[in-house]
Amino acid sequence: MRQGSRAIQQLKQFKLLLITLLRYCSIALFTALLFLPFKGLNAAGIMFICILALLSVVSLLKKTKIIDAIKTIRIPEIKRFQRFFIPVFLISSAALPFILKDYYIDVLIMSGIYILLALGLNIIVGFTGLLNLGFAAFYAIGAYTYAIANTKIGLGFWASLPISASFAAIAGLLLAIPALRLRGDYLAIVTLGFGEIVRLILNNWDSLTNGPNGITGIARPLIMGFSLAQLEYYYYLIFVFVILAVVVIKRVESSRIGRAWIAIKENEIAASSMGINTTKYKLYAFTFGTFWAGIAGILFSAKMQFVSPESFTFMESILILSMIILGGIGNTYGAIIGAFILVILPEVLREVQLYRMLILGIGLVLLMIFRPQGILGGVKGVHFRS
Amino acid sequence: MLKLVSIHTSYNNIKALKGIDIEVNKGEIVCLIGSNGAGKTTTLLTISGILKPDSGDIIFEGKSLKNISPHSIVNRGICQVPEGRRIFPRLTVLENLEMGAYSVNSKYQISNFKNNIEKVFSLFPILKERIKQHGGTLSGGEQQMLAIGRALMANPKLLLLDEPSLGLAPIMVSKIFRTIKEINEEGVTILLVEQNAKAALRLSHRGYVLENGAIKLHGSGEDLLHNEDVKNAYLGE
Repeated sequence: MRQGSRAIQQLKQFKLLLITLLRYCSIALFTALLFLPFKGLNAAGIMFICILALLSVVSLLKKTKIIDAIKTIRIPEIKRFQRFFIPVFLISSAALPFILKDYYIDVLIMSGIYILLALGLNIIVGFTGLLNLGFAAFYAIGAYTYAIANTKIGLGFWASLPISASFAAIAGLLLAIPALRLRGDYLAIVTLGFGEIVRLILNNWDSLTNGPNGITGIARPLIMGFSLAQLEYYYYLIFVFVILAVVVIKRVESSRIGRAWIAIKENEIAASSMGINTTKYKLYAFTFGTFWAGIAGILFSAKMQFVSPESFTFMESILILSMIILGGIGNTYGAIIGAFILVILPEVLREVQLYRMLILGIGLVLLMIFRPQGILGGVKGVHFRS
Repeated sequence: MLKLVSIHTSYNNIKALKGIDIEVNKGEIVCLIGSNGAGKTTTLLTISGILKPDSGDIIFEGKSLKNISPHSIVNRGICQVPEGRRIFPRLTVLENLEMGAYSVNSKYQISNFKNNIEKVFSLFPILKERIKQHGGTLSGGEQQMLAIGRALMANPKLLLLDEPSLGLAPIMVSKIFRTIKEINEEGVTILLVEQNAKAALRLSHRGYVLENGAIKLHGSGEDLLHNEDVKNAYLGE
């Protein structure tokens, strides 16, 4: 009798195993078939085996609870290391241009611009919890404002810096006033639409923006009549802006305004019953976040000396969003790390040109499986109730 | 202190309140009871400004609250503990309490902040033990205490409580109700909305019975407790 029941149990387990295996096989087969038309039979076969192996490894890891362990690792609060970490970081990044080749400095400059963008978006999405899928539009507004002001009127970098930043901020405010009547997904759709509208305007308003050809010959910034043409100098300029942004954003985050933002994200009804004017603070968040996008924009166009609508597509918005999700949403240092990784990684993977986006994609998927809260995100293992 | 004069409120086409008159005097506990959908929560939301009344007037300390936004109503001294607690789950207990003092901005009140926090901790000692814990990790009863404590941080003159007993164990309910009484004895006027009619009426000085968006009965808590209609409809006797 007992032996019989054990046999049944074994049979059940075997059946379960078979079903899982079959499921994995079908997933792998599907992916392999996607490869077949482009890469031929061999590549499809390799893909099949790779994916099957990957899936089995992941399922084995799940059994050993390694995934749970990774999810709950607490990256030590940076606060505790701040005194040591920040000076070391500052000195080493200030020294970098002396050691590195121009190419690397160039990459670092780009990552600085993206850090500014990620910091700005983090205010809107991370602190206040308003999903914005059209952030590249504000980046574009900042960049084009300088491009047009410089080439048409001859305005310098420093004169158009406040104009670019405030144009982007005003655009953010103007979009937010009607859009904040919406919540969640609907807000995301409206911001997405806005991003496309801005890109299409830039693409089609030939007389002002020169259409898809873009604007060339934008001047580099001058400091006391001295052009920042050399990459090292530009690197330091960006460096100063990034530090300024981090300091300002950190201070605002821990002020009354920052607290109000976090309360709105946590629970909007509770926030308003605490006497927070939710509409006002949401407008603040939008305006303040897009302000930094404007600054990133002007730095971008001054660096490239060229802007075209292609640099501000929907993919760009998604990339910035991925940066803050990767770093841990709502965490200022996380946004920096996320932006840095997502700019550096494609450069590192340049060797395997064809597959780098694939690897990047797989990396992001794995991150979401193993650590959904992002690198510096808090512990997600705890279930919150409210 | 608070007076509602023939308030009508509707959700689009659906009329939820059809002419409500309520008066709350200083120092009282007044409770609103009624079955589901009678309009209890709607009344509270109308007072705190989240819903706008179609007609009628709300007068608080001699001034009308009509067309005033929710956050300035909080500044006038009316604080609501929303239904279902709605604490901030990812903030710690201390941060939750600090958020409660958000509307406080005069110098006198800022200096009062420490006193307020001590007061909350003496009302709810368990919150002091959990001061660094995330709000979301507290039990239901503790969250309710936190929600009440958070509301008290704003120095309210009038506290609106929306179903504080919702989803709590009986022992927790009586504990919360005892605390409500304590808070009242310290001079805070309370307007309480409850499903748990018996306990609420025992606690309150006066009560109103709401039915289909209108006041059906009102009287002292004692009277309502012994009223035959109330007994049949809400007390299950």
